[in-house]
Amino acid sequence: MASSSSSGLTFKLHPLVIVNISDHYTRVKSQLSLPPSLTSTSSAATSNNNNNNSNGGENNQNPPPRVYGCVIGVQRGRTVEIFNSFELIYDPSTRSLDRSFLEKKQELYKKVFPHFYVLGWYSTGSDAQESDMHFHKALMDINESPLYVLLNPAINPAQKDLPVTIYESELHVIDGVPQLIFVRSSYTIETVEAERISVDHVAHLKPSGGSAATQLAAQLTGIHSAIKMLNSRIRVLHQYLVGMQKGDIPCESSLLRQVSSLLRRLPAIESEKFQDDFLMEYNDTLLITYLAMFTNCSSTMNELVDKFNTTYDRHSRRGGRTAFI
Amino acid sequence: MEIEEKQAEVIDHFVKQASAQKGSALGSVVVEATSHPSLFAFSEILAVPTVAELEGTDNSVHLEVLRLFAHGTWSDYKRNSGKLPQLVPDQVLKLKQLTVLTLAETKKVLSYDQLMLELDVTNVRELEDFLINDCMYAGLVRGKLDQLRRYFEVQFAAGRDLRPGQLGSMIQTLSNWLATSDNLLVTIQDKIKWADTMSELDKKHRKELEDRVMEVKKAVSVKCSMTRPF
Repeated sequence: MASSSSSGLTFKLHPLVIVNISDHYTRVKSQLSLPPSLTSTSSAATSNNNNNNSNGGENNQNPPPRVYGCVIGVQRGRTVEIFNSFELIYDPSTRSLDRSFLEKKQELYKKVFPHFYVLGWYSTGSDAQESDMHFHKALMDINESPLYVLLNPAINPAQKDLPVTIYESELHVIDGVPQLIFVRSSYTIETVEAERISVDHVAHLKPSGGSAATQLAAQLTGIHSAIKMLNSRIRVLHQYLVGMQKGDIPCESSLLRQVSSLLRRLPAIESEKFQDDFLMEYNDTLLITYLAMFTNCSSTMNELVDKFNTTYDRHSRRGGRTAFI
Repeated sequence: MEIEEKQAEVIDHFVKQASAQKGSALGSVVVEATSHPSLFAFSEILAVPTVAELEGTDNSVHLEVLRLFAHGTWSDYKRNSGKLPQLVPDQVLKLKQLTVLTLAETKKVLSYDQLMLELDVTNVRELEDFLINDCMYAGLVRGKLDQLRRYFEVQFAAGRDLRPGQLGSMIQTLSNWLATSDNLLVTIQDKIKWADTMSELDKKHRKELEDRVMEVKKAVSVKCSMTRPF
């Protein structure tokens, strides 16, 4: 079902959308993992849970719930930029989409962001399915060619890319019948400054109230991963050059020139002045740490002496002579 | 990098021209290529077979000029100026720009005196004008000029065409860089482990101390309750 797209549109995805979808999914999932008594009442009462399961009983062991929602953004020429998203109420078993809710939400968002249009919809899962086509067709009256953003909530430590795929619908002739199928498209992530700050903050979440050692370990781990990435990139370059030398790869002068100019930047700083400044700052930091240690030790000593005096002094104080340490 | 992108079209154009013509007509192509204001890469043109054929013929002087622009400096030109044809001012300017690039290859801090010697410039003002207008604004180099200490600190310099032996040294540099970063990674890993172990030890020590304090407290309170007959 998923081949590569040929529509020539470039997609730009903002991290806010990804965070929204994952948040929606997490909320629904955590609501469902409440004790069964609560779950049955909540799922019977509200239709907000957006899950595939028809039974309101034990939901924890069943397949994870799918959430649905709408993505909005701007389309300028051939570039489609997806900025934001909101949730929708959709029941795949009955294929009913709550139109009034969708329209109300659209109106509200239009007031705040007049330029944003409904670009498509999102859902969670591991792969695009046939049943998704119905939702897709339902949205086609709002946007003639909607997008389908799929987030895979399964955590896969081996995977390096984001588990988000964007599908478009194309009319292909299969067995003589023109059908709409989903085709994958590539996308890039685009960030606004505010988004970059929040993503950075989340990425550096440390255990709250961690002692100095864990903070040190966390910072070192950050540096470690950064250097590791640099290392792998340099390794790629190295292998490329070795291949070029052996003759496996045809020589490309422009690339070689760029590599040579890059290598000329090493060592990044080496003048004598740098060494002096660096050593001075290093010594200053060490001195201050030493001084702080000293102060700490002397205050502890002082306390100890006071305590000693108070405990062992009581007898001789009547004599007038205090034991002096 | 931007220079490479800017040059790509020009290089294609000249390569097409060079492959279309032969012999002495190539001479004019060479002159045009070497005076073009945004072309600093000549190894593609050198690789065109019709150009390589010029070796040893009467027109080999054009090949020499092309090689000079690909790898040589202004002082090379002055030394061999007898054999090479006269260069037009555009070519002179370009050759001087390429000289700066070559100098930046070996050292990151170029003293004004050295630059003035290599480029045949007599006063600092002219040198700085040349560096600023012709090298930095063209995007060839990026760096800082220190007038008090009279040197030019290069942060970035565009690449020149590679001499045949340079590829080996580049690979060497890359492998050194790799080795250094590998060592650094190992060191950081060890430091992280050390930090973790030390915090573990600290916690254990603290716990032991607190246990002892509790014991002593209990002993004292027991003693107190025993030695209080009333």
